[in-house]
Amino acid sequence: MSRLRLPIRKPLVFLVFVSLAVPLCAWAAGASTTLSDPADDDDGPGSYKYPTDPVYKPKSFDLRKVEITDRGDDVEFRVTLGAALEDPWDSKSWDGNGFSLPFVQIYIDTDHQKGKGFVAPLPGLGSARFADDEAWDKVVLLSPQGKSRLSAELRAKAGGMKGAAVVPKSTRASGKAIVAVVKKADLGGAPAAGWGYQAVVQSNEGFPDKGDILTRRVNEIAGAHRFGGGDDSECDPHVIDILAGSAKGDKSEAAAQHKTLAYTCGSKTAHLPMIYPAP
Amino acid sequence: MRRPFLRLCCLIGALCLCAPAFADIGKFEIDGRIYSKHLYQNNDSQGLVGLGNPFWPDTISGNNGVGSELELNIRGKVSSFVETGARLASRFGERWHDWWESGNSLYDKANTSGDSGGMNSASYMKLRGTYIQVLPGFLGIDWLRAGSSDLAMFNPWTIGKVRYIDRDNGRGYFASGHIGDDATVRYQLGIIALPKLWAGPWWSTGIGDPALSNAFWSRDWAYATSVRVQVADGTALRLVATTTQDLEVDLSDPDAVGSKNPNCLDKLGNAIPGCQNNHAVDLLTRFASYNSTLDFESDLSDTVRLTGLVGVSAQNINRNLVANGVARNQGVSPVVYKDTRDFATTLRFAANDPFDSGWSLQAEYFNIGADWNAIFGARREADVLLTDGFVGGGGQLPTLNLANEFIDFDDQWVESCIGWHGGTGVLSFDRDDNRLKAEYSFIGYNTNQQNRDVDTIYPDFLHGDGFTDTSLYDYANVTDRGRDPRSVYHRNQDRRSQIAMISASHQFDVGRGLDVEFKAKYIRDEDFRSLTTADDDYRGDILIGRGRVAVPVYDGVKVSVFGQMDHWDEQKRRGTLQLGYGNDTTDKQTAGVTLDVLFGGMKLRYGLEYVHKVQGREREPDQLWNVWRSKATIEANW
Repeated sequence: MSRLRLPIRKPLVFLVFVSLAVPLCAWAAGASTTLSDPADDDDGPGSYKYPTDPVYKPKSFDLRKVEITDRGDDVEFRVTLGAALEDPWDSKSWDGNGFSLPFVQIYIDTDHQKGKGFVAPLPGLGSARFADDEAWDKVVLLSPQGKSRLSAELRAKAGGMKGAAVVPKSTRASGKAIVAVVKKADLGGAPAAGWGYQAVVQSNEGFPDKGDILTRRVNEIAGAHRFGGGDDSECDPHVIDILAGSAKGDKSEAAAQHKTLAYTCGSKTAHLPMIYPAP
Repeated sequence: MRRPFLRLCCLIGALCLCAPAFADIGKFEIDGRIYSKHLYQNNDSQGLVGLGNPFWPDTISGNNGVGSELELNIRGKVSSFVETGARLASRFGERWHDWWESGNSLYDKANTSGDSGGMNSASYMKLRGTYIQVLPGFLGIDWLRAGSSDLAMFNPWTIGKVRYIDRDNGRGYFASGHIGDDATVRYQLGIIALPKLWAGPWWSTGIGDPALSNAFWSRDWAYATSVRVQVADGTALRLVATTTQDLEVDLSDPDAVGSKNPNCLDKLGNAIPGCQNNHAVDLLTRFASYNSTLDFESDLSDTVRLTGLVGVSAQNINRNLVANGVARNQGVSPVVYKDTRDFATTLRFAANDPFDSGWSLQAEYFNIGADWNAIFGARREADVLLTDGFVGGGGQLPTLNLANEFIDFDDQWVESCIGWHGGTGVLSFDRDDNRLKAEYSFIGYNTNQQNRDVDTIYPDFLHGDGFTDTSLYDYANVTDRGRDPRSVYHRNQDRRSQIAMISASHQFDVGRGLDVEFKAKYIRDEDFRSLTTADDDYRGDILIGRGRVAVPVYDGVKVSVFGQMDHWDEQKRRGTLQLGYGNDTTDKQTAGVTLDVLFGGMKLRYGLEYVHKVQGREREPDQLWNVWRSKATIEANW
């Protein structure tokens, strides 16, 4: 192999440009809320397995951190996972956002009042439910799918929840993080003390089951593109990782997740807890 | 009288007993899809695929036609340990206008009989892929599979993921497992049936090779393993090792069909020592390839990531069993006609918004040997380098076996990066409504050489000069298509290239959000060719500007308008030292509109574009294109 002959001036110009641009363009952030989740609990109630196709790399659905930041007229949601986001299905070709696999839904309880909001999540998460006094009022969709597809799916399948679902202005991949920006007005205002959050990690499914909103099913046995370790019916929660406990990232929160997502077909449904960060 | 009554009673009783015996449909999961494509252009070719098979004449290629296909994906749950699957899909090629074509091909050319179009016009259902997958649940074995796979478990440098339209043509035996409770080590094994087409010299594993009288391809296999070790949290190593083995019959064996020694006697009638009929046929290796890579990924922090790869590629050609495809096929060959061994390395650094400022930086070094070739690597729909490259979009792959066929005008192209040596830097800004990306790449070439033997060893793919116009490409070279994207070898080359690209987008808060994008790209491509003279020095200055405005007009409905301008100034673009070279300029303007509709599970996409191209050529007549073309796809999945 030959020696590389570089025209040295241009890389230098490039580097100078970079070194000047970075500090100039830092962006002031407002109030921020951070919720953490322990590593290696991307197994739902403790038994779920990834699909067998090799695109589902280990830790791709392992929730690590959720950051919610006030950005003036907007709010930024940054969800960090256990593996770098990749784009094996070429999301550009389907008007997507530069990554393919994870689909995170962030549920928000803005009033913490019983009887207000929804206890069932968006269609596609199986039997999981929120408690009556932790019903959600808004859900932000951090999806590889473009805005047009998300809007069409919500219109077709979300029913009365459509108005509570927020499609971000922009969604992008940044290393291990999905970053979505939503209009503050779409959330009904700036994130406030007392708001509750739950981040549900699922997998983007471009060809979802009839009533599901772009989520991948969990079956008894894992298939090429089906999670395994659950049940072939709808009695299991179709969620891979969630926030649990006090969302500090403590190891014990994995056990808390397994406990809250435990289910028994015909008698016990999984519970999605809302996390209310301490002020 | 009694007997008919008894029979009726028996029949009713039997029906009652049988009524509950429905099939257990709970064991099945079936997905369906109907897809239609409408392709139109202001020319006189008829067909359903813009660019079809470049070698075998086919009946589906052309620019005007409408066709549909149906596919059914079936998954069966046999037990908690066994899953099966299959895909049934109709052959794509029947135009709506063909009406009653039966599949017969009774006449030399098309007529109105319904028996002239052949099977390609009959939309017959074909079994595309079957598998049985076992999940043992012990000994760390995650699954075992016999049957179809898209081969995505390896990588583009070795055995690549099969392109989407061929996704279940790859078949073999596969295993996946892990070692340790925490799955620190994960492995995958594969024994894969080599395709009779493209995975060897003469684009085959024997068929069509003039050196063979009785090609034998049913025992040609690839063997592959991938082992991934999680060294630490955020750091992993992966070894991928593969080989392909193309076997042919040893014609000196007296049991072989067409044996040179059927009676074990030489020309003088003497017995040949060791020669004996034993009803067993010996085999010899015609072609073997060995591609292995060791790659790593390391997360230095939540935002900084380092990845890299080193690899070795080698091939052995049995010249007794492989005719010289370089010499006998006008330099069009997917392999160099000699034994080779070479190396490749890449190293990529990525800092993704490390200062929470929106700015990210990526840098990559790449060095791919001149004799590297991934004969069974990815042929398209993959990209191993960071750069936007020359053709943009589709990406770069380290193989001579690219697949820029069975595509339409709106599909992406891939190019070979064999021999590329250089670096890329990408600076990007992504915050709020604004996105910016700037790239600079410098590419040197390990393939730079004087007096390279492109007559008998290195394939030059016949057309190796000039910038490639992928938007107006055809296989007959009647449109001055420029460099074949596979053409990496030339008799005399001393080339270096620079690519600069900037793209920006902004979303205006208008209606449902108005997206405005702009991209500009400049390429300086220089090749001093023969170093004995300056008369053949090539210099290409390629400038491309593209803009796009997109607006969602309703939930699931989006309209986009785009325009592109190209100006290529190429000094000494084509010619020979004997006849001289000409300076050519190309000006191209493209404008179009796309409509995307998603409604109730149905997806429609329509694109219409106009291309105006003027090519001023110094040594040949100027050329003009006025092309209108459109493509619509409608599909529904259930």
